[in-house]
Amino acid sequence: MNKGQSRIPSKKLLRRRDFLTKAAGGVVATAAFGAVPLRGWAADPVNIGGLYPVTGSMAQIGQGCAVAAKLAVEMVNDAGGIKSLGGAKLNLILSDVQSDTTVTRTETDRLISGNKLSAIHGCFASALTLIASEVAERAKVPIITGSSSDMLNKGRTYTFTPFARASQFAKAQLQMAKLVGDKPKVAVIFENTAFGTSTSNGLKEQAPGEGVEIVMFEPYSAGFTDASPLINKVKASGANALFSVSYLNDLILIVRTVKQVGLNVAINGGSGGFVIPDFYKNVGKLAEGLQGVAHWNHDMSDDSQKVNAEYKKRTGEFLFEYAGGLVAQTFMLADALERAGSADPQKVREALSTLDVSTGYAAMAPGGKVKFGPDGKNIYGRPVGVQWQNGDLASVFPKEDARAPLMKS
Amino acid sequence: MVEIVAQAVINGLLIGGIYALVSIGVTLIFGVVKIVNFAQGEFVMIGMYITFFLATQFGIDPIVSLIVSMPVLFVTGVLVQHFLIRRVLGLNDLPQIFLTFALSLLIINVALMLFTANYRTVHTWYSDEAFHVGGLYIPVAKLIAFVVAMLLSGILWVFLRTTDLGKAMRAASQNRDVAQLMGINPNRVFAVALGIALALAGAAGSLLMPFYPAYPMVGQVFILMAFVAVVLGTLGNVIGALVASLLMGIAESLGIQFIGADSGLIVVFALLLTTLAVRPSGLAGGGRR
Repeated sequence: MNKGQSRIPSKKLLRRRDFLTKAAGGVVATAAFGAVPLRGWAADPVNIGGLYPVTGSMAQIGQGCAVAAKLAVEMVNDAGGIKSLGGAKLNLILSDVQSDTTVTRTETDRLISGNKLSAIHGCFASALTLIASEVAERAKVPIITGSSSDMLNKGRTYTFTPFARASQFAKAQLQMAKLVGDKPKVAVIFENTAFGTSTSNGLKEQAPGEGVEIVMFEPYSAGFTDASPLINKVKASGANALFSVSYLNDLILIVRTVKQVGLNVAINGGSGGFVIPDFYKNVGKLAEGLQGVAHWNHDMSDDSQKVNAEYKKRTGEFLFEYAGGLVAQTFMLADALERAGSADPQKVREALSTLDVSTGYAAMAPGGKVKFGPDGKNIYGRPVGVQWQNGDLASVFPKEDARAPLMKS
Repeated sequence: MVEIVAQAVINGLLIGGIYALVSIGVTLIFGVVKIVNFAQGEFVMIGMYITFFLATQFGIDPIVSLIVSMPVLFVTGVLVQHFLIRRVLGLNDLPQIFLTFALSLLIINVALMLFTANYRTVHTWYSDEAFHVGGLYIPVAKLIAFVVAMLLSGILWVFLRTTDLGKAMRAASQNRDVAQLMGINPNRVFAVALGIALALAGAAGSLLMPFYPAYPMVGQVFILMAFVAVVLGTLGNVIGALVASLLMGIAESLGIQFIGADSGLIVVFALLLTTLAVRPSGLAGGGRR
């Protein structure tokens, strides 16, 4: 309702200005016939939907995403908005998916049917994004996401994934293990959920090809009270490296228990809960030297460092993987809108599919290039290996993205 | 091999001590007041947050903060009994179940609003330390938690055996009407029972804090184990709940070691079913307290 009211004066303003500056016949014609397809739309803000879990069990990361999403839109608008649309501003409409798959379905539906959206980004957790992208697909609205599930690239034409896929994460982890130890004997422990099982299977399948020996491969029930029995088992396996596919709470217990046992293993905590500031806050110095993988990191380029500085000013913490990635995604959407010259979701989808950037904020991805293949995957996508060093998460792998040397723990 | 088994038993015993504090509270409330307190885990969570804030704001050690968390939760228990539970006693079971269940949801969501979903940990000098004996290790924080848990259980046992109030609680739990005829004021006894049960939950919270992160849903992790221990150890039986909690900790740990790390709960529930099949009223049989 509000939107309708505010649209009228802005349209009038624009027309008046158009009349004054260029008395072009076409403009007169559109105004006279009241037809509004191109020019009339122009200064209307472009609606971008953002789906994030800002309440519930994933709220911790979802709230950071919301802050970053707002920051990104401000950056685009401050730089002049979408020029091909007469300097139209982006209007971010955030919606809380409450860390719940059912709510995600209804909220995505509600967001799309209640607003004239050009595109959506979200939802952080793969389980939620899979559902939101399904709804977006049906409604023919493009969705761009940093979620890593390979399932998002199967049979979808409106889903775009500019960052590394889950299958690529495993490979990077295995290669990092070889860099810190000559003959890595890896224990893989993973929570017995869809996330844990699919990620760990990727590790198991690619280990022989990378020349890494897996000496223990063990699922555990997520949300345990005590990590000691599990670490006891890792100790008995004789492993010298530990890959843990876990959410934050379990990972905190695992890392602290490894210390108590006095076990000397190189830990790779993967991504997700491992690469957020909260991990260091909970684990402290024990985090030093621990490795992980991420689809984005705040130090990997000059542009990302600039965005990080601004985010840090607002929140006091560094810009974490997912939130940083979605700033880049917002600029990819802006690039697409610019080239589409239209807020029509169908045209935005076409423009996204031909996106090809290697400079600017839109290219903030490991490797610095984004171009989508037919499956919506960034053909240049790759993960970045990270390591906790002096309380900060440093990019250490591969060489092209490294900002600090990989320390042997 | 002997070493691995010994280590698994130590791990199990230590975490079993924490289960015991939670389950003794549940079984005490059930035994005396005859209601199932679904919100017991949430009172553990409150104890954890009290401890967390005392530690971060005033630098008070989690173990020392027992002297704050236990009295605060004791008073909370008395208030909960007086203003909430007292109103639904004597009705059928459903309002009582809904009451404590609603209380649990309410506390979780208020905590989410006040404290956010973030994990909070307290680091003490002993948090990540362990005694190494031979090839075995005993984490310091867990050992402290275990010893204090056993001490508190012992004090409760002596209290129930020797003091008038303790005897009155046992009497009220055996037969409420007869106890009332003997001049025991049930409301007072119930209030003390709730207070003690919640103080134990608060103690569990303080003892957990040096090695377990606090977050609004943390109570749910422990309440499931507590319910199993309460049934396993015979409903209403304090010693039964204690023994069952320790057994469960050991069974879980051995299961993870020798069957698989996702078998922890399977082993615990298998233990429960087997026990119930052989002794339907739990390990302590028909005996009370």
